[in-house]
Amino acid sequence: MAAPSAAGLRRRLQAWLPRLTQVRWSRYNPSFLEPEVNKELYQKPLEELSEEEKEKLELKAVQPIKAAPPSVSSSVFSDPMISKFTNMMMKDGNKVLARSLMAQTLEAIKRKQLEKYHKAPEDEKEAIECNPYVIFHQALKNCQPIIGLSSITKGGKTYQVPVPLKDNRKRFLAMKWLITECRENKNRRTLMPEKLSQELLQAFNNEGPIIKKKHVLHKMAEANRAYAHFRWW
Amino acid sequence: MAAAVGRVLRLGGRWSTAAGGPGAQTLRLIYTTTAVQRKNVGASGPEKYTEAFIKKQIEEFNLGKRHLANMMGEDPETFTQEDIDRAIAYLFPSGLFDKQARPMMKHPSEIFPEQTKIQWGEDGRPFHFLFYTGKQSYYSLMHETYEKLLSVQKYQDQMTAQDLPPQKEKRNLAGSRWLTKIELEEMLLEKLSDNDYLRFIQLLQKLMTLPCGDMEEKYIQKFTKEVPAQLQKVVIEPLKYDERGVAFSTGEGIRKTAKATATVYDNGTGKITVNGIDILHYFPVLQDREQLLFPFQFLDRVGKHDMICTVSGGGRSAQAGAIRLASAKALRSFVTEKEVEFMRQAGLLTTDPRVKERKKPGQEGARRKFTWKKR
Repeated sequence: MAAPSAAGLRRRLQAWLPRLTQVRWSRYNPSFLEPEVNKELYQKPLEELSEEEKEKLELKAVQPIKAAPPSVSSSVFSDPMISKFTNMMMKDGNKVLARSLMAQTLEAIKRKQLEKYHKAPEDEKEAIECNPYVIFHQALKNCQPIIGLSSITKGGKTYQVPVPLKDNRKRFLAMKWLITECRENKNRRTLMPEKLSQELLQAFNNEGPIIKKKHVLHKMAEANRAYAHFRWW
Repeated sequence: MAAAVGRVLRLGGRWSTAAGGPGAQTLRLIYTTTAVQRKNVGASGPEKYTEAFIKKQIEEFNLGKRHLANMMGEDPETFTQEDIDRAIAYLFPSGLFDKQARPMMKHPSEIFPEQTKIQWGEDGRPFHFLFYTGKQSYYSLMHETYEKLLSVQKYQDQMTAQDLPPQKEKRNLAGSRWLTKIELEEMLLEKLSDNDYLRFIQLLQKLMTLPCGDMEEKYIQKFTKEVPAQLQKVVIEPLKYDERGVAFSTGEGIRKTAKATATVYDNGTGKITVNGIDILHYFPVLQDREQLLFPFQFLDRVGKHDMICTVSGGGRSAQAGAIRLASAKALRSFVTEKEVEFMRQAGLLTTDPRVKERKKPGQEGARRKFTWKKR
């Protein structure tokens, strides 16, 4: 019984291992640009555009552009922030359910604000914001932390170092906190839109558990100020 | 890696328990090395084709072309490459996926890659002074370009010494692009690394941005290629008129596996019918209806057109995307060229190339691997 030669095995193994391929690739050629859906940008007459914009337009005329994704549209109702939030709320790819929950949340916010509006005296009526999109954006902005913590290992010990956060990271953290808060700390009987609208209105007024979480993070960062010099970027 | 590999050969015979006499053969170990086992591939590199060989191939190709024309009953004088391709595809039908693996008959210059001739003379001395750098054409090109740069700078200094203003003509950058690395490699007949290519392009850009760089316009043009505006590649069909005198236009769209055809009529009320069913019933989801109305809403023509479409295949979102593309293509005929360009920049006129990624062997799905078990 002849044992297989090690050389043959090595050759067979080498043949099986694939050559280096890209992991993060896209069906589009890298030269394709992102589409710009906002109608107003196209309605500006040519004279109002600055030199830079004119050059950009000329360059764009010769470059191919990707197709617009199905979640994006040029109507006033499609908002990139709301789409991002809906995607984060989605479970198992059930976009229909996530979108309906989002719509119900915005409706609930509008209803609550309208109730307050009709009950308020004349002089306070103007101060009450009824547009749910404005409330959503403002609430998210209020929830965004300015500074975050990052774990840096130095000399065997891991320190929590205060670190400035990028815009994307801030938005992501705000949305993530909002969603986890609504999923975990609610009564079994209350539905998601109800709880979400409640949290959003509280965040809009700079109160509530998410704002508290943001303040706690800021305080931790302030407390760990001594380690700030560990950051090298 | 160990050079010596043992190969155990059992030479005949049986195991003999008794002490081996002269006749008993048991084990004999023969050692061989991988160096000997490997085929003796000489360090000659890729095959070199002689000029005579290529000439013979060209003659054979031309003769074969005339024979093929005769076989197909066509005129040998006006037999083009397309006719050859069609004839070969007819005579040797192949279901192979890879186009390069199918039988083909092309001019030898397309099949045998261009090669550099021998770079040294009979005495063994190389012709080019940069031969021993290994990339003689690339380095000579860099030297040439840098010489041009120096001459432009000298000219510029002369102009400033005479107090003449430097000429500044704005060149239109949008219509041209640099040669890609592959094109440059084909031009130089040498392999380049990414860094080499980048350095060369940087040098060219420096030359171009100098104020008096227009002198070397011709030289730079050798390394640029025209890029036509994307819009000019597509032909927009004119409007058609049906029996009632109403203008209409058709378009087709694809998304994933869904195929759709849409007919957009003018003077309409905004009614949209899909496969004979109203969109409210066919697409109960709001997102799909939003997608259908996207092109109309973008052009501010929401209530002005009627649409009748047919769609098949795919899922609900894919069908909506296919109809969106079809309606956008149909609307091109109703709208000015500027608005068509705006539609293209909004991403309405591009077919989405994203399809389902195939499942790979050894993995559970396209990306998901099997559960890793330690033992």
